[in-house]
Amino acid sequence: MKALDGLEKNADKVLTVKDLEKTYPQWRKEPTKAVDGISFTVDKGEIVGFLGPNGAGKTTTIKCICGLVEPTRGDIKIFGMDAIKNTRRAVSNTSAVLEGNRNIYWRLTTRENLEFFARLHGRSLKEAEPEIKSLLKRFDLKDKEEAPARKLSRGMQQKLALSCALIRGTDFLLLDEPTLGLDVKTSKEMREFVKQLTSDGGKTILLSSHDMNVVEDVCERVIIMNEGKILANDSVNNLKDVFNVHLYDFILEGEPKLPELKEKYSVTDIKYDNGKTKLRVSLKKPDSFYDLVNHLQKKDVKLEEVKNLDKNLEEIFMNVIEKEGVVK
Amino acid sequence: MREHIIFYSVVKKYFIELKRYFLNTLMTMIGIFILFLLVFFGLRNFEAGTDTLQGSIVGFAMWIFAVMAYSEMSWGLLQEARDGTLEQLYLTPSTFRRISAYRVFGSFIFQFLLFVVFLGIMMASTGQYLSLDPGVVLLIGLTLLSIYGLGYIMGGLSLVFKKVQAGNQILQFLFILLLVLPTITDHQIIYFVPLSWGNHMINRMMIDGLSLLDFSLIEYSILLANSFAYLIIGLFIFSLMEKTAKKRGLLGHY
Repeated sequence: MKALDGLEKNADKVLTVKDLEKTYPQWRKEPTKAVDGISFTVDKGEIVGFLGPNGAGKTTTIKCICGLVEPTRGDIKIFGMDAIKNTRRAVSNTSAVLEGNRNIYWRLTTRENLEFFARLHGRSLKEAEPEIKSLLKRFDLKDKEEAPARKLSRGMQQKLALSCALIRGTDFLLLDEPTLGLDVKTSKEMREFVKQLTSDGGKTILLSSHDMNVVEDVCERVIIMNEGKILANDSVNNLKDVFNVHLYDFILEGEPKLPELKEKYSVTDIKYDNGKTKLRVSLKKPDSFYDLVNHLQKKDVKLEEVKNLDKNLEEIFMNVIEKEGVVK
Repeated sequence: MREHIIFYSVVKKYFIELKRYFLNTLMTMIGIFILFLLVFFGLRNFEAGTDTLQGSIVGFAMWIFAVMAYSEMSWGLLQEARDGTLEQLYLTPSTFRRISAYRVFGSFIFQFLLFVVFLGIMMASTGQYLSLDPGVVLLIGLTLLSIYGLGYIMGGLSLVFKKVQAGNQILQFLFILLLVLPTITDHQIIYFVPLSWGNHMINRMMIDGLSLLDFSLIEYSILLANSFAYLIIGLFIFSLMEKTAKKRGLLGHY
């Protein structure tokens, strides 16, 4: 159903990007193609991660979505509204944190920033006050309420920037590198909070990051980009499956002869050393692990140690980038 | 649409920033005042007439007003880009042009208060007293519309080209020429350039003691046509530059 502002706030698809292309014209140089005909959607309540090396086109895509960069070609719909023809209305239910600790006024205090951005989105102080209090508490900014933003630590500035995006009260959030430059503790806090936003707050989030751990930890789905193209668009778990990454090292006592293992469990390597056997096994399904352990028990082979060599998202990412087009 | 809340937020932020940089604002004012005293007593040493001395007071106050109004548009925009907040101002249910207009409104209020205080100090320190009809606010407001138009042009250019400070300095000197133009020529050019005709009307009001009713419809028409023409051209060029900046992805750059 369309609301008064023309946005379909209850639509399943919060964002639909189709054949998006952005070529930057250059003075006396060849134009640069930053985004090359990409299409994807973001569903209501999802956290989708944009992953890619520098220059992959992540920030340009995010800026095209919020109308700060004009696309060369393609369609963008936010809550069902054409964001290229009606940018202002389409982004009225969207907020963004674009570059870490910028986005806030360094001369204003923490509270003044929050009040300013709430009102900038047409929210009265009376309406926004409970959220201001809750954000100050949630991000441990209460003690710094009256401190100018320039005197806050980088981590606090980034928390404030995120709070300023949230205080606008929009349902869709675009976060460009939200944990960039943060220490481990603050980054963890930020991740937890971002996860809570969708589970408790009903927000939909599109997040870009260089940090694989952030994407792996926070996002349900990941879009891998390189040179303006989407190379992979799937859930983190599916991507792991696609790359068949259940790798284990089994250390066995003695030097048992087990020829059947090679066929049944894809043993890729066997080494004998000091009366011990090391098997490297590549399993198609995680459940096969238990079958293998049972099999070894039946054969009276004593298991000394098992090491899980599963690939993390970083390895998958490198794999996708290297084998461009494999999982399109 | 809660446009009034957005208006309030922008104006309030303008005054908070002024307060936070109170010392800086005060030092600037003192610097300008010293410059004024040099100009005024310099003119008196050349045995300039009362009209010239009074004209220099009005002209100087108008020059400060114009420079501040113009800087607010062009420099203010660049400052937002530098701070990384410019893009945030595009993500509102309002439009960026409206938001910058609200900021200009806030600055007009502040600059007018400053104008009155400055004028008072100038008159007291020089012994030259001028007529202060409240109607002069209307003339100043209308005259400055042309300056805001120029501010939008330079603001738009700074969105795309970033380094336009040299142009700003040239314009500041050009304002002096435009302000004194009616005293050195009665050529029709004063109807077409910004600032000149409006300043001429303000001078007649403050020095000759005229009221708003003493001006003819034609004189008002010239002022309105001149001011709105510059404002509309300014907004048009700003839109064009804004579109170019979005095409080239330059909005957040500095």
